[in-house]
Amino acid sequence: MKKVYVGLSGGVDSSVTAALLKEQGYAVTGVYMKNWSQDLPGMPCPWKEDYLDAKRVAVQLGIPFKMYDFETDYKHKVVDYMVEEYKEGRTPNPDIMCNQEIKFKLFLDTALDDGADYVATGHYASVSHEPVPQLRIAKDDNKDQTYFLYRIRESALAKTLFPLGDYTKPEVRKLAEKFKLITASKKESMGICFVGKVGIKEFLEQYVTTEPGDVIDQHGTRVGMHEGAIFYTIGQRHGLNVGGGLPYYVIGKDMNKNQVFVTTDINDKKLWHNRLKMTKVHWINEEPTNPTVLVRTRHRAPLIQGTIEKTPEGYAIKLENEIRALTPGQSAVLYQDGIVLGGGIIF
Amino acid sequence: MKHIYLDYAAATPIDSKVLSAMQPYFSDTFFNPSATYLRARSVAKDVQSARHEIAQSLGVRPPEIIFTAGGSEANNLAVHGVMRHYLGKHMVLGATEHSSIIEPAKAYDHSLVAVHPDGRTSLEDLKKSITDDTVLVSIMLANNEIGTIAPIKKVADIIKKIREARIKSGNELPLYLHSDICQAVLCLDVHPARLGVDLMTFNGGKIYGPKQSGLLYVKTGIVLDSLIQGGGQERNLRSGTENVPSIIGFSVALRKAVKRHESSHKKLTDLQKIFINLLSQHVPQASLNGSADYRLPNNIHITIPGIDNERIMMELDERGIECAVGSACSASNDEPSHVLKALGMTDSDAQSSLRFTMGLETTKEDIETTVLALRECVSTNL
Repeated sequence: MKKVYVGLSGGVDSSVTAALLKEQGYAVTGVYMKNWSQDLPGMPCPWKEDYLDAKRVAVQLGIPFKMYDFETDYKHKVVDYMVEEYKEGRTPNPDIMCNQEIKFKLFLDTALDDGADYVATGHYASVSHEPVPQLRIAKDDNKDQTYFLYRIRESALAKTLFPLGDYTKPEVRKLAEKFKLITASKKESMGICFVGKVGIKEFLEQYVTTEPGDVIDQHGTRVGMHEGAIFYTIGQRHGLNVGGGLPYYVIGKDMNKNQVFVTTDINDKKLWHNRLKMTKVHWINEEPTNPTVLVRTRHRAPLIQGTIEKTPEGYAIKLENEIRALTPGQSAVLYQDGIVLGGGIIF
Repeated sequence: MKHIYLDYAAATPIDSKVLSAMQPYFSDTFFNPSATYLRARSVAKDVQSARHEIAQSLGVRPPEIIFTAGGSEANNLAVHGVMRHYLGKHMVLGATEHSSIIEPAKAYDHSLVAVHPDGRTSLEDLKKSITDDTVLVSIMLANNEIGTIAPIKKVADIIKKIREARIKSGNELPLYLHSDICQAVLCLDVHPARLGVDLMTFNGGKIYGPKQSGLLYVKTGIVLDSLIQGGGQERNLRSGTENVPSIIGFSVALRKAVKRHESSHKKLTDLQKIFINLLSQHVPQASLNGSADYRLPNNIHITIPGIDNERIMMELDERGIECAVGSACSASNDEPSHVLKALGMTDSDAQSSLRFTMGLETTKEDIETTVLALRECVSTNL
């Protein structure tokens, strides 16, 4: 019997993952990864309840349960990275980093050391192992989480199972009820759990000191003050402390001068892009030979046709249609025929 | 699913007579007892009667009763109330006291009294711990985790002798004995004068009364500083509009508990014997923690070496049996129970401990079902 270590987060998706694998005949062990336990202002960390739910699911399924304490590594590899990126004026994606460094590296390696043949998580994604391991879009288009998984290594993918790739979220909820799992009606956690509930501002304030600075519009006029350039995401419409009138869109930041540049013109050419540049590019398998790809620049964003171009700094993608809100620090993920090729960080 | 509830030390259901006694005070006669119109004065009178009735059943004077919101508050009032009044002085407390004694004591110069491996207070250590500066000794009558009953009368005798010696030597500092008796009320005699105790903490939530109801008995002559200042209720020791339904309910629960404590003791002692016998038969690897002879009759606290207590607790829960883990699991970051540590137990044994506490509703069949389920859970987990 093949042994699978399932990352049980205490949520419904990972619970059903474990139940399905057990039903498929695997010897399943549930593992709660303790990545974060610190309370934030106004937000006690719910890790203990999640841990108890994860353990309860293991009890309900009659499978062994373990806890891996990755808190130190998570702080170094995910949180520190995240804070550094923000300080540089970019908007990083901690979930992508968590998958790359914690779930599909540290968790995988620890589980393999403990005797596992595979690891599994409750991600909505599909994997095929033959002839080469490939990452594929999930059946549930709306839930597909491959955007967060594109930095997985081929060797890790070879040891990974994503049973939820064939199910939709409503089906998963029904399965949780069928298996009578305690998590069946549990609410969805949002993105990176510890930031989702308090907000990025409160989180960053733990690590950086910020000062108010100027908000400058497309005509070079100072139109208001902001609370710290670090909190503003390029391309996004913002609740700047600028009263009335048209909505403002962030088109740039000067981190040294602590300035935020905005526009009220939705057609401002600085908002729209038909080309994106990528750095730290990662290919799951070989670099693709066919340069025509589909690109996604945010989780759940529509796929846009593009063409890969090699540049001195790495790669660029020429886009078929102009898109708004290209955010430095976020990832561009590339697809061909439902297969995730890889991607890179937008800069 | 039929449930077998075995966590009565954590919470008891509200007795039906208690509930019906409380009912009128929520909406019909909701008035503030401090107001002077007649309907409010009538409520004040009911609170006064409740105080009188409690005083009568405890053999104390009505003004010696300070109603609080539960046992933790009463414990805090005892510690801070005495120690703030005698700032810079010293306090002595048992190593297995409830956290609502241990935590407030940390604000003052204090000494912990060791317990024997069965959880009984070491009287030798107690004598050594009391200095010329000690004003307060706090020893709980019955431990909430392991059910061990303290030799409270012997503690009171020691304190009495020290008081006499102080008078002779001209040391005018008082020395008070406080006892948290929250867990003991259902089955033991808790008459303060008979036990020789000066301050005593009661909790309604453990005796079929409402949660967050309770009182601190304060013997006449003891001066306390108050923790909550305001309108001057409860002899200025606990301001805040009286929680009338809670006080009424608590008084009914307390009088009932005191009145039937002997029959409750007998009933629960019989069940406890059955529980222990069945355990030795079906789960022979289980060992009983605490004292076998000086023990609350509703408490079974065991260690089953090698088990993950949290998991067994959850497995029993899945079968409808509710009990407590003896000490939080290592994964939770919580410190292992200070009570089990004080007994000299290792962390791993502490994390293999379970607590079953029975109530007046518990039956022989409940116990049999529980022990057999426990046997099954343990055998599949070891």
